[in-house]
Amino acid sequence: MEKIKIKINGQEVEVEQGKTILQVAKELNLHIPTLCNFEPLLPQGSCRICLVEDRGKFVTSCTTQVAPNMDVKLDTPDVIASRNLILQLLFTERNHYCMYCEASGDCELQKLGYEFGLDHFEFETYERKFTVDNSHNYIVIDPNRCVLCRRCVRACSQLAGHNVLGEMNRGIDTTIIADMNVPLGESSCTSCGLCVQVCPTGAITDKRSYYFGKDIQTEEIYSNCDQCPVGCGVKIYKKKGSNFIVKIYGDFDKENEGILCKLGRYAALFEEKSRLTSAKIKDDFGFKKIDFDGIIKTINEKMEDSVVYVDGSLFNEELSLIKKVFKDRVFSLYENEPPIESNVSIDDIKSAKDYIVIGVDLNREYGVIGSFIKRKIFSKNGRLILFDSNYNSLKNVANYVFGIDELESGLEKLKDLDSPIIIYKNLSEKETEILSKNKNFRFFYLPFETNSIGLLKENIKHKIEKSKNIIFIGKNLQGLKDIAKESFTIVFTPYETDEINKFDLLIPINDGFEREGSFYNVDGKVINKAKVLDSKFETFDLKAILEELIKVKSL
Amino acid sequence: MKKIKIASIWCEGCSGCHMSFLDMDERLVELINKGLEINATPITDLKIPDDDTDIGLIEGAVATDHHEEEVKMMREKCKFIVAIGDCAVFGGIVTMRNYIPTDELLKRGYIETESTVEGKIPTSPELGKHLPKVKAVNEIIKVDYYIPGCPPSADAIYYVLNEILEGRKPILTGDFLKYE
Repeated sequence: MEKIKIKINGQEVEVEQGKTILQVAKELNLHIPTLCNFEPLLPQGSCRICLVEDRGKFVTSCTTQVAPNMDVKLDTPDVIASRNLILQLLFTERNHYCMYCEASGDCELQKLGYEFGLDHFEFETYERKFTVDNSHNYIVIDPNRCVLCRRCVRACSQLAGHNVLGEMNRGIDTTIIADMNVPLGESSCTSCGLCVQVCPTGAITDKRSYYFGKDIQTEEIYSNCDQCPVGCGVKIYKKKGSNFIVKIYGDFDKENEGILCKLGRYAALFEEKSRLTSAKIKDDFGFKKIDFDGIIKTINEKMEDSVVYVDGSLFNEELSLIKKVFKDRVFSLYENEPPIESNVSIDDIKSAKDYIVIGVDLNREYGVIGSFIKRKIFSKNGRLILFDSNYNSLKNVANYVFGIDELESGLEKLKDLDSPIIIYKNLSEKETEILSKNKNFRFFYLPFETNSIGLLKENIKHKIEKSKNIIFIGKNLQGLKDIAKESFTIVFTPYETDEINKFDLLIPINDGFEREGSFYNVDGKVINKAKVLDSKFETFDLKAILEELIKVKSL
Repeated sequence: MKKIKIASIWCEGCSGCHMSFLDMDERLVELINKGLEINATPITDLKIPDDDTDIGLIEGAVATDHHEEEVKMMREKCKFIVAIGDCAVFGGIVTMRNYIPTDELLKRGYIETESTVEGKIPTSPELGKHLPKVKAVNEIIKVDYYIPGCPPSADAIYYVLNEILEGRKPILTGDFLKYE
């Protein structure tokens, strides 16, 4: 980068061309107050609070790039007076009374008020009522609290690639709207929740954390999401001194760039499945409770003549212990080998131009991968070719849509693809054959279980074998029904489901935020998940049981 | 020693700011020893302050015509007016009603409340009439100093009164400046 000389506060400094005044000031540790500016988003200059003086003219420092001969003054009396006036106007327009606002304490407008020493409103407040949009399952939009910084609009399009939020009307009537002014709950919103995370005031908030206190009353825990194998970085806000997660935010410093999907941000907290609350064993009269020693004894007795099935919800540490106890009698209950091996990473997805998605709705699952692709499509830097015969919400954004049976003819028509990335979950043999023929294709496999790759690395393959005793460890009991009929079945699972009573020994294990461990993400990187909550039930730590079994066996 | 007379009223407020005032505890005695004289306040139950009152504290927003008269009276009688609490300073929680038409609000509050049987909207002529909009005190009269907070801390109130007693201009910063 070419360097140029400018003056800041009278001092001559050498700065890189192309940077904004705000960025330069930050590097020099000079403070400029900001509100609408938010680092990963393109600057917009809508709040004006960051203005500075350059040779007698006021400019917004977030949008103005440095230029030769600039003489920037950051806090002349005029600048300070203007900023004060702007802040007064921001506060007096709409409802910015802090004490009955959810965001109070974490609000950036409030922080500016404190910074500027604002102790009263100079102007008569202007009261106009906008309707609060409470139609969404997880998010509330209160336009009365909005400062029109458009962070949400920018985050929705530039980062998350959903393009749901926009604005309507002009001046004081401007409101943030979803789609063509429909309630958010009825819009094309995918519930990624990034707008909640970037909103500086209480205009967009999530329902779970509503009035659950300020950020300083929570513990911030950095972890990774284990809802799918993308493994996004998350920042978990746990209420101090209690066993409760207030909210989950995306981690802007990780690969997912702060973006999460509905599964990671909301489903993990909202959708509480009914849990298996204590260990029980079936005898002639039904189920009766069993303790830790009883469990160890029973398993130890049945171990000789048993096969063990696992699914991809287990962490690496658990898998390696299972292997240690049960050796080569461990199988995966589900098919987990990729039809075609992945040869690109998440970073390649961000930089690719052409994408071919086969049979996956990236708005519903693997949402963050969907965001990376959609934002390229919307900024016209990429093309999306979709092959899917079922309903797929990507149809609205794809450049070309084909049925899954048109794979061969469709690819035939698109000869100008620039080493496209093929994104897929399941492929039939025929599809695999068609795709592998193309030499310039790159492949990105989306395993359907969180730690499918971990299973492969531990060399746990899919195979169904009959045995007198069956031990299943995992969450997904779907495949167990048919094979467990005549065997004594021991199930380690967190959830209470309808079919669970057919099995013989039920052992509740920790779930979700109660367990810690590592797993392999889609890139094959090891990713850690932290323990955040304590189990509310009499659940067992899987690792403790396995370690005890090793001990008993060696005696 | 010259006495500094202080008076206070509360308009549309919850009395929380006066609680904070009392929360100064023994520092109140300290201020009295410095010359503070407590005149007409809800605490002394005197209604009209003396004409030569020095400091007038106003808690609460201006919501009825009575409040409007009272704050105007305070301005006439007091040398300095200090608005204490978010309601007096900004309008505060009372401004919630500015977003709802007054008739609808009274109906909801006095008749349609879930626990109310045969409710009636009070009509006594002794009651103040609602202004169309709840206002902050500085929309009616000139205010000299402000202590926002809901309620402001006893420390903040002590700081402001002490600064005035010592002849300095109080400027709130840090923990003293809070909107909640």
